[in-house]
Amino acid sequence: MISRRGFLTFGLTLAGGLFFPALKLPQCASFAQFFFAQIKYRGGEWDPNPQFVEAIVEELELRTSIKALPERRIVNLGDPNLFFCPFLYIAGRYEFEPFTAQEREILRRFLSHGGFLFAEDTMGARGFGFDRAFNREIKEIFPDHPLKRLPSDHSVYRSFYLIDSVGGRQRVNPFLEGVVLDNWTPVIYCQNDLSGAWERDKFGQWVHECPPGGEPQRSSAFKAGINIIVYSLTSDYKKDLVHHPFIQRRQNR
Amino acid sequence: MNPSQVIIAPIFPLWVILILLILGSIFTFFQFRLMRKRLSVNRSLSLFLMRLAALSLLILFALNPTWTVRKEAKVSPTLAILLDNSPGMGMPGREGKGSRLDEARALLLDGSRPLLKYLSERFDVRLYEVGESLKALNPEDLATLKVGEKRADLGAGLAQLSGKASLALLVSDGSLEWGEGRSADFPIFTLPIGEPEKYRDILIKAVKAPAMAFRGREVEIDVQVKSYGYDGLRVPVVLKDGEKLLKAKDVRLDEKTGEGTVSLSFTPEEVGSQNLSVLVPRQLGESLTANNTVRLPLKVVRDKIRILMITGSPSMSYRYMRMALKNDPSIDLLSFVILRLPSNILNVPLQEQSLIPFPVETLFTKELKDFDLLIFDDFQSSLFFKAQYLENVRDFVKKGGAFAIIGGPAFIGEGGYAGTAIEEILPVRWAGKEGYRRNSPLGVKLSRAGRVHPLTRLSPLEGEDLSLWGEMSPLDGVNPLRPKSSGTVLLESTEENSWPILTVGSYGKGRVLVLATDDSWKWYMGMVAQGKGNWAYLRLMERMVRWLTKDPSLEPVQVTFPEISGTTGQETELRVRVQEDPAFSKAGMAISASVINPEGSKISSQIKPVGQTGEYLLSFLPGKEGTYKVKVETRAGSWEESMVIGGPAENLDGFPNHELLKKISASTRGKTLTGGDDFLKELKSYEEGARNRFIEESRHPLWGNAYIFILLLTLLTMEWYFRRRWGLI
Repeated sequence: MISRRGFLTFGLTLAGGLFFPALKLPQCASFAQFFFAQIKYRGGEWDPNPQFVEAIVEELELRTSIKALPERRIVNLGDPNLFFCPFLYIAGRYEFEPFTAQEREILRRFLSHGGFLFAEDTMGARGFGFDRAFNREIKEIFPDHPLKRLPSDHSVYRSFYLIDSVGGRQRVNPFLEGVVLDNWTPVIYCQNDLSGAWERDKFGQWVHECPPGGEPQRSSAFKAGINIIVYSLTSDYKKDLVHHPFIQRRQNR
Repeated sequence: MNPSQVIIAPIFPLWVILILLILGSIFTFFQFRLMRKRLSVNRSLSLFLMRLAALSLLILFALNPTWTVRKEAKVSPTLAILLDNSPGMGMPGREGKGSRLDEARALLLDGSRPLLKYLSERFDVRLYEVGESLKALNPEDLATLKVGEKRADLGAGLAQLSGKASLALLVSDGSLEWGEGRSADFPIFTLPIGEPEKYRDILIKAVKAPAMAFRGREVEIDVQVKSYGYDGLRVPVVLKDGEKLLKAKDVRLDEKTGEGTVSLSFTPEEVGSQNLSVLVPRQLGESLTANNTVRLPLKVVRDKIRILMITGSPSMSYRYMRMALKNDPSIDLLSFVILRLPSNILNVPLQEQSLIPFPVETLFTKELKDFDLLIFDDFQSSLFFKAQYLENVRDFVKKGGAFAIIGGPAFIGEGGYAGTAIEEILPVRWAGKEGYRRNSPLGVKLSRAGRVHPLTRLSPLEGEDLSLWGEMSPLDGVNPLRPKSSGTVLLESTEENSWPILTVGSYGKGRVLVLATDDSWKWYMGMVAQGKGNWAYLRLMERMVRWLTKDPSLEPVQVTFPEISGTTGQETELRVRVQEDPAFSKAGMAISASVINPEGSKISSQIKPVGQTGEYLLSFLPGKEGTYKVKVETRAGSWEESMVIGGPAENLDGFPNHELLKKISASTRGKTLTGGDDFLKELKSYEEGARNRFIEESRHPLWGNAYIFILLLTLLTMEWYFRRRWGLI
């Protein structure tokens, strides 16, 4: 869903392009510091929860100091502006077509140099559908760094909230997985359909129930979402020594 | 002429001469028999005898008889008088009359029978001064000879004398270098100068200290004190930095050895060259006080650059800066990210949050001085800071700390810096009411100053920086600022009415930087998108930190002090390296240097290019001990530093070491003497034995001259004449 502002920007840019065909577009578009950039891929179902952004951005601004745009940008892997997206998001239920070699190279370069990707399998079936296709792509992009369960002391579990299990629309795994490169985890993967738990309709009603945990499970999904966003912007900040005694004390209570 | 003195040296082998003689004689006799038939006996005999005489002359000529003359001659032995020229010879002589050198001079020149004159009549006297090496002296130079600056090295000097002397007389106080187990190929007689039994002194014998220390880490300096005549006494040892007292401790001087050792420790607080000195205050009755102090140049460096970074909210700018700073092993980063503002609502109890209290008071009242660089990254200080904390930041910079502001919406719009102490130290001022401009992609270019400034020199290749910055991604947000007159804009927007993007300046002793955007991370990702890697962003961050913290490698002028502290009267040399700026090198690098002595007067100095481009050698001759101010100025920048020059008597152990003189004599078959007369007695017996004899031989060839040749010609001519007259021809 594109916002009115996005629509106008797009329309004006297009008009500018028609009137000034020789004028090159700037290398990076006018982005806010934080926004979701969702990857549109071929095959499968690339947009299983189209209305997830508003609620999580609202929650993000309510709880944290981060200023975010309550809208998302749709990108494909050939988009040169992909490198200027702070938070790349990919989701789906079903298996999708393999990425091209060029698309894989772009993702490898983006993720190896500080870029961040949050991936969601909204079906939550290990070895089937989106999970199978995404694991296939990760193996191609990072043959030596497959998706692994993130340990409980990973910064993503303590970047804002101290969480020990991950909620969601469904409860497939109580943990997150990821690709770890040195001290940075450029890819975080979840099969609990976090965005499904965040999604609201235009009347403000939750689109999905969150069985079996209900509302606490939804709340946990929001906490996990905020932690993932804060992690994407602060990296392993919470691993700094200054935080240790505080976090240790609270976890021991 | 004695026939035994004549020797023959035949020009042909003897058997050839013998054959010639026999053949010649037979031929002559045969001719005589033939002539006898045609001439009378007398005439035949006359011709025969003339021919025989000519033959004999030829044979004698071939035998080459030589007269040898041998003459016996006698030569006086060579006596080397070695006069010690060590600094110790400048110490007071017996009963305080003149110096030890004067005492030695008097021994050689004065009195009713001057020793030097007496010896010259009997020996071939060669006079030398012994310093670092041997130097020949004329007797007339002796009266004006001055004490040298270096301790004499007798061992090295004797190597120069090898084979040139029969014996030597060493006039010294024994305070010289003589290697253990050394000897000489001639006897050395020693004539001691000075009075060991009356000598009283305290000196710093040795100081063990590192040449380099880390700021904030304790440094230990071991001091060894030696004394003569103060055994058992307790004396204070003081460590000073310039005139500032750093540490003082008492040391007890051992009753047997007269020595004591003490360790002084201190923690250097500032980076740079420190002029330390260790001293023992003057004691009553000391013969020499210049050796009570030792100068100690110490270079203090930082082990790690400590950075305190306060970030207003989690952001891409923070993530990429953190990545760059954490990647640098020489940086110790402590960062605080404001994750929650007072306006945010928390929905969980404390034990479910990872948030920690922001220790603003501790940081900005007590610990700020422990950091080298403070960074405010899009930080809204008004929510957390009292005005006093910002004043503390100003004082931190004034005293030499570094401060950087990374822009963003919170910097001006809500940052609350207008009218505060921060506004005072920044090299920029706000341009109007607008705090931040978003959604206005701006290209970035190097300013004129930025093209030559070390901070923005990312590429070693001239001109590459311009094109590099042309390829950098445009910015989506910028704080509209204007530079103050004290500020230098290095990066600016490409608009006609350009905005400063990166501005630097200084306040007090510290440096300040303003990066008026929170979008610098796009320079990183923009280059990655182009497949050019992340080096440019990482280098920019590294150089920002190093320039702010005054890393010497980024200073336009770098000066290297000599490893050993200089002394008076000795030329001091400093190596100067000037960063070549393309803009200046075209016009030719202008460089000047000035040196101010401890009395505040400018002294003569020279600076000349050496080696590679941009390298110079600065030299000057310090006349007095004390602190000298050295200043080097170039168009790219200047450098000023103080350096301490010690006196020649520093470290001088002036004790007359007569035991060493005895050891030298004993190991060279010489003797230690008590005075000039004693020496004369010793020499009398030695004089005769030491005289050398030799035979002079001269050779005079008897037949190798024109007279013999004329005689031979005459004989042959007469023989021919008579034969013609008597009708044989």
